[in-house]
Amino acid sequence: MMKLSQVPAVKDLLRKCVRCGQCRSVCPIFKELKNEGAAPRAHVYLTQLLRDGELEPGAPVAARAGRCLLCKSCAKECPSGIPVDQMVVAMRAYLQDYSGENVKKFVLSNLWGRPKGLQKLRFLLKTYEASGLKSLLQKTGLLGLISKDLERANKLLGSVSRPMASQTIPPIAQARQKRKIRVGYFLGCATNIFFPSVAHAAIQVLRIHGCEVVTPKNLQCCGMPHIASGQATQAKSMTEHNFRLFYQAGVEAIISDCASCTSMLQGDYYDQLFAAELPEEVSYFKGKIFDLNQFLIDQIDLNESLGPVQPVKVTYHDPCHLVKGQGVTEQPRKILNLIPGVDLVEMEGADQCCGGAGTFSLTHYELSKKILGRKINSIRDTDAQLVTTSCPACSMQLAHGLTEHGMEIVVKHPVELLAKAYEDAGRDSKTS
Amino acid sequence: MHTKQLITELREILGEEKVLHEKLDLISYSYDSSFMARNNRYVPDVVVTPTATEEVSRVMKLAYQHNIPVTPRGAGSGETCGALAIYGGIVMDLSTWDTIEEVDTENMQVQLRPGVVHADLNRHLARFGLFFPPDPGSSKMCTIGGMVANNSSGLRAVKYGTTEQYVLGLEVVLPNGEVITTGGVKCKAIKNVSGMNLTKLFVGSEGILGVITKVRLRVWPKPKARGILMAVFHDLEEAPKTVQDVYSGGILPSGIEILDASAIKAVNQYEPEINLPDAEAILLFELDGNPASVQWEGEEVARIAAKRAQKVEWSTDPKRMAELWQGRSVTATAAARVRPDGSRIFAGEDISVPLNKVTESLRRIKAIAGKYGIGVVNYGHIGDGNVHTAPVINPEDPAEVAQANRLVDEIHRMAISLGGSTTGEHGVGVVRSQYAREEHGNALDVMWSIKRALDPKGIMNPGKLLPPEGSEG
Repeated sequence: MMKLSQVPAVKDLLRKCVRCGQCRSVCPIFKELKNEGAAPRAHVYLTQLLRDGELEPGAPVAARAGRCLLCKSCAKECPSGIPVDQMVVAMRAYLQDYSGENVKKFVLSNLWGRPKGLQKLRFLLKTYEASGLKSLLQKTGLLGLISKDLERANKLLGSVSRPMASQTIPPIAQARQKRKIRVGYFLGCATNIFFPSVAHAAIQVLRIHGCEVVTPKNLQCCGMPHIASGQATQAKSMTEHNFRLFYQAGVEAIISDCASCTSMLQGDYYDQLFAAELPEEVSYFKGKIFDLNQFLIDQIDLNESLGPVQPVKVTYHDPCHLVKGQGVTEQPRKILNLIPGVDLVEMEGADQCCGGAGTFSLTHYELSKKILGRKINSIRDTDAQLVTTSCPACSMQLAHGLTEHGMEIVVKHPVELLAKAYEDAGRDSKTS
Repeated sequence: MHTKQLITELREILGEEKVLHEKLDLISYSYDSSFMARNNRYVPDVVVTPTATEEVSRVMKLAYQHNIPVTPRGAGSGETCGALAIYGGIVMDLSTWDTIEEVDTENMQVQLRPGVVHADLNRHLARFGLFFPPDPGSSKMCTIGGMVANNSSGLRAVKYGTTEQYVLGLEVVLPNGEVITTGGVKCKAIKNVSGMNLTKLFVGSEGILGVITKVRLRVWPKPKARGILMAVFHDLEEAPKTVQDVYSGGILPSGIEILDASAIKAVNQYEPEINLPDAEAILLFELDGNPASVQWEGEEVARIAAKRAQKVEWSTDPKRMAELWQGRSVTATAAARVRPDGSRIFAGEDISVPLNKVTESLRRIKAIAGKYGIGVVNYGHIGDGNVHTAPVINPEDPAEVAQANRLVDEIHRMAISLGGSTTGEHGVGVVRSQYAREEHGNALDVMWSIKRALDPKGIMNPGKLLPPEGSEG
């Protein structure tokens, strides 16, 4: 990994921050904490002081670097174009040796020491498993310390009853009509374990539209939870492993139904930290990685006849990494509007972060809950019967919030409704 | 008093959560948006975030007793070091105290606490068909408390004036902790000449006389219509003449903005699709009011402007208005990005000159910048002579920093020599206090007398607005 001062965002853009404070107006964390230390420009300033040696690396500044959702709201708002989230990721990588203590402290004292009911624990554990934090804890040797509690908690919660998507999805799913393109499907951890139906729906719809879908066995985590936790080297190895698999499979594009996985694959943070040494397998796919919604709307023609679904009022939550990271906001809405029976109602602040942010909801549970509360209120105001979003981490967070607020509303990916509409139109045949 | 003891006593007053003392928090209160803050480290000893008058009063009493400097702060979006603890002590962050206490639609006024953000206030008032007219560029983040303390304004000052015209009364905690209400203790009147006008004394006093804890603002009916006119000039001289022609024609637009060639170039470079015409100057007029009068005035301004301008376009279509206004709205951003290895700096950025000196000041700024080898982008509120200059430098290159400081000093002195002021709306703070004697003569001594009368111990935001004592030799 390159030096902090050499990370492109730090090297070229740090000096452009005039500390105007416009980032204060959009940061979800600042909105809750309100003090200047929580403002995005404070992160930029701390990065500068670290770069210049005015501030010693240590646990306190690592904790500050950890207090960011990487939601990109500030980066999008900034008049000077400062990618604050990329600086935060660079800072976390630089400070990785100092952050373990906080994870340990949190996991031991907050998660296990103060049980707050099954629902919460179940949610945290789900996040824990899906986010890849498990492997982080293994790496830092903390898992040994808490494994007993984990075992107990896992038993309490019961295992995930459905088979994981990876157990049922074929390595190659043939196109349902004349093959137009051979695509790679990136099966992310959370989709695989908690939302296998999304994976099945994604493959089904892609096949209907002439895609031969390759889902390599042995895919690893996209690396986002690791790079977001400062474990950049592990993230690098995972990313490159995954790209090698797709490269060897000879696919023309890579598609993911997870906003964060897509962001990671597109190189959002990886390129910052490892720009100087991109392997051929990685650079080959530049411009060929798509969010599923984006691929369906922008790359293939979706004008197939769709069966009406049971009339339903639906609202859509924009995952940060999709709307602010990739500019994908119209496409999922277009998909929903194509489906007869779907009444799409916009919630206020659809593009506001849900507070999930992968492991953030685990490490900053109370703060995350406040941010989530605003989102749930917006959902409630729409009277929607169904919430849709395009990120499994958001789905888990939203489902948790809806349950906590006593709302019996299901969260789905738009592609699940689309698959259902095809099914109802009689065009479906099951993924083999 | 030792900092540790101070923290303990502040916690007794405010509780633990409202007293910030971790190093990383203190560092985060060491900056604002000024160039000077970038080049210095003004770290406070402790930060407090009070949310009650009683809390502010007790903190002030403690500070007064122990001679501890107190610096009130809003969003820290200022450009003058005005909210920085240059002598250490306590920073009082009032931005967390953001309650709108009452919207009195019958009496056309609103009462609020200092931390309310400008945009949030106007969003709230819009529900009642009302608005608070001053509109700073920092609307999304700046606080009303900060606006009052700096007497802020913005694009629409041409027609609507500055913050002071809207402040009906204030609650202020004096340096010794005493709480006063200006504009009448129980008063809800709009017109009021009873007593000395202490409200106006505190508006724009930059926190050196007391802490503003409550604001009573007059608000206005929100205009129902708006239109934008763009006029393009091949000769810079024709732009201010056109402004004069419009005024002579009996029309008072809500805003008149100018982009000079440097700003036009910056905008086109930054966002080629905006495609501003290649020209020496572009004027943008904003007209607001009722639909019929806006239409009439727009057409009249178009007729007047066409006499001198090469191209004129008038629109009330929201989409086209947004496109026409885009050149102005992205100028600040474009200036920040015009040089890949540089940054715009906020220094010498706010001079105000007589209307008939605007052209001369723009030409001279260009010449001075050329002398120092620094690129500048000029834009501003030509309707009231407020010129914003954005020097673009590499702020991490000491040689460029030194040159920029010389450039800025010359711009400030030029403004005074042209019969203008070093600041039209951003304030004095630390960065412009050195010009106070030149600007105010012996009136500066009266300012000092007032300061000493209200703050005999000199603990209230020391080092701001007035030059340091003894610094004048």
